[in-house]
Amino acid sequence: MALFTIVINGEPRQIDADPRMPLLWALRDRWQLTGTKYGCGLGQCGACTVHEHGRAVRSCQVTVAAAAGKAYTTIEGLSADGTHPCQRAWIEEDVAQCGFCQPGMIMEAAAFLRANPAPSDRDIDRALAGHICRCGTYTKLRAAVRRAAGDGR
Amino acid sequence: MTATRREFLRAGSVLAGLTLAFRLPDLIGVSADDSGAFEPNAYLRVASDGLVTLWVTHLEMGQGVRTLLPMILAEELEADWTRVRIEQASPGPRFKGIELHTSGSGSSAGSYRRLRTAGAAAREMLIAAASAAWQVDSASCRAERSEVVHTASGRRAGYGALAAAAARLPVPATPALKDPSAFTLLRTPVKRVDGPAIVSGRAQYGMDVRVPGLLFASVERAPTLGGTLVRFDSSRALAVPGVRHVVPVTAGIHPGVAVVADDNWSALQGRAALQITWAPGPQAAFDSDRFLADLPQAFARATFKVRHEGDALAALASADRRFAATYLFPFQAHAPMETMNCTARVTQATAEVWAPTQTDVRTLAQIKKVAGLSEEAITLHCVMMGGGFGRRLFADYAAEAVEVSRAVAAPVQVTWTREDDLRHGYFQPATGERFTAGLDRRGALVALVHQTTSSDLTIYDIHDGRNIWTAPPKPAKAADAYEADQSPWGAFDTPYEFPALRVDCADVTGPVPVGPWRAVEYPSTVFGRESFLDELAHLMGKDPIAFRLELLPAGVKTVGPYQIDRTRLARVLDEARRRSGWSTPPPAERGRRRGRGVAANVYHAGSYLAMIADVSVADDLSDLRVHRLTTVVDCGMALNPLGVLGQTESGIAWGLSLALLGKMDFKAGAAVQRTLAEFAVLRIDRMPELDTVILDSGAAPGGYGEHPVPLVAPAVANAVFAATGTRVRSLPLTTEALRA
Repeated sequence: MALFTIVINGEPRQIDADPRMPLLWALRDRWQLTGTKYGCGLGQCGACTVHEHGRAVRSCQVTVAAAAGKAYTTIEGLSADGTHPCQRAWIEEDVAQCGFCQPGMIMEAAAFLRANPAPSDRDIDRALAGHICRCGTYTKLRAAVRRAAGDGR
Repeated sequence: MTATRREFLRAGSVLAGLTLAFRLPDLIGVSADDSGAFEPNAYLRVASDGLVTLWVTHLEMGQGVRTLLPMILAEELEADWTRVRIEQASPGPRFKGIELHTSGSGSSAGSYRRLRTAGAAAREMLIAAASAAWQVDSASCRAERSEVVHTASGRRAGYGALAAAAARLPVPATPALKDPSAFTLLRTPVKRVDGPAIVSGRAQYGMDVRVPGLLFASVERAPTLGGTLVRFDSSRALAVPGVRHVVPVTAGIHPGVAVVADDNWSALQGRAALQITWAPGPQAAFDSDRFLADLPQAFARATFKVRHEGDALAALASADRRFAATYLFPFQAHAPMETMNCTARVTQATAEVWAPTQTDVRTLAQIKKVAGLSEEAITLHCVMMGGGFGRRLFADYAAEAVEVSRAVAAPVQVTWTREDDLRHGYFQPATGERFTAGLDRRGALVALVHQTTSSDLTIYDIHDGRNIWTAPPKPAKAADAYEADQSPWGAFDTPYEFPALRVDCADVTGPVPVGPWRAVEYPSTVFGRESFLDELAHLMGKDPIAFRLELLPAGVKTVGPYQIDRTRLARVLDEARRRSGWSTPPPAERGRRRGRGVAANVYHAGSYLAMIADVSVADDLSDLRVHRLTTVVDCGMALNPLGVLGQTESGIAWGLSLALLGKMDFKAGAAVQRTLAEFAVLRIDRMPELDTVILDSGAAPGGYGEHPVPLVAPAVANAVFAATGTRVRSLPLTTEALRA
């Protein structure tokens, strides 16, 4: 066990944990930030995606030791009131079904659009191909990313 | 019959005028903090400040009941949709007699009339309260947007102001329902009520439940089907920091050892340090490849009658030409994005459980059994599911959580890893379908024989505590057991007319635990049937759509309890043909072959679908791409068209996963695929363009949560044939399968 300080949604937080503990479990089990989801623990589904200094990463693949001293944003911190262009577009396009994978999708899309403000459909597919939605909301996801891109412009 | 206030008071309420039973005994509790509230039934409540609360009496797994069921109530209640509160029903006195259990695409069809009646009764009472106060005829008043209006004078009163008076009136048993043509909310596209909570991460799924002092558990389970625990050594696991307890678990599908810790990571580390000796059990040699290879031999044992019309065997014997083909469907996993989990706080006297479940009934039964408590001592919270698809119709994972919490005397959340979820689920059974057609000298169809196979859904037995791996075989089924059960779905209720038809079934129950999966038996039977009809059409030199239409004479066909309206199926086929540009050849592309294929199905005589796939394959039979799927749907009244479009997309993605990608194999008695890389499901980059048309026939709502699933694989396989001339009769449609 060791002590680490990690900045989450702008707030420094301390954790005494096994250095190999993935950030995912620190968020969910220690800090009750349950908007970040567990889906596979192997970086194959994207449900646990958060931002590391603005870049989308899989929180199940980042240990607390590696996260120490870095700043992360989770779905809870993406916007103060759920009005990030992606969040608005997701509601507008009525994307979610069960919704479990959507926080990860939104975090991925938000980081992607910051780097690629005017993506093609192919770019969108490539950006989200690391994610799984078992409800299969893929055509609505595409529409929501396009809408969010238009919104951000 | 009306339930009067007097009767209600006799039934035990102490506060007057607040609640009335809609349908005795659905008596509900009273909220003491609003003596002016109006609750004519368990489903809704009008507070004295006008806030309308609508209870969702089915369980949400993404199919949209939390939006649709309140819409039905609000439509008849004439509630202002922008100012309603949605509450999830969980088992308890308020909902006594109302099953929340959610399966078989039954929520909309099953609730439609009941919820309309509940909403309409409340509306009539509010109108009666207003007209009495105004001393006018109630027929001269109307309700709109949570107000009653006196049409002639324009006088208005909000529902909140009328609530107390309405609560004193008798509940009409047969209120007048609105004419569907007057609907203002139903049949319009309405967005999901949980959208804002989901996109902000606030939506709470089973896995997100957090209670004070919560511990987290991970369970190592027997690796083989029917394996048993011999002994375990927990000393190394207990030495892992954060680990609190190690206890055996017996209440789930497979026996296991639970490691209980301060967080999931510590529990997983402790689990990895366990030293366990397993006995492999009697099925340690089970191999699913062999099981599938053996399936065709089962057809000789297809002696259970499913459906017989005319003498198909005689017609086949005297046919000029016979043609037969066999189709195989592999084992499949549910793999919802939220793995199985449950949170339990069990004491000597009480149990409180938070379960993401499709079934209140079975979950309660498991809690009672494992905790040894009566129902009154149990509080079950039915929380949102990150997908269900049939996996959450059984409560093995809840039973484990209850057992572990009881053993360690602390609140515990048991979370399954993805590997656990894939290895220890119950599965869609592997099945085989054999079809034989007879043609006369002129080439006309004279008979169709369909030999199908079926596995008992052994999860029912496991759930009832029967060990399917060691227990003696169950008594033989009656010869008409399948016919009496109208199963297998898609074999019993095939919608087409044949000069003679014989459907028989063989029992192929094996050691893999199997249970309901999305669309249950339709995916296999419809893959076989729609593929075979395509083969027949090509054999007979007919257009596959025209051939199907020939088999669909106008009118209604009665099959057991089902009234199958062939006119409706013909209409969706015809529209799909027109919409997809079926008659014009698809654009050519160098190095690739392109083609279209069709499939059609009727789900329980309620919903009618046709689908056309537009695919291309590289010349070397690699790189199968589905470009576009045209789907035409008549699910009766489309109560929320946005929901129907969403379920179409969802069912198609599910169907493409089974058509193109995933299957479960078993080697040496254990599941082979353990990750989402090995059990591949559809991702965004293979999602085709969709064109979905809803033909709202105005018929009763037919349900829709699963219905597009069975059409996808045959439509794609038939399109692959059209493109390449290669017929693939097993799934998934991999390059290897195309080249075989």
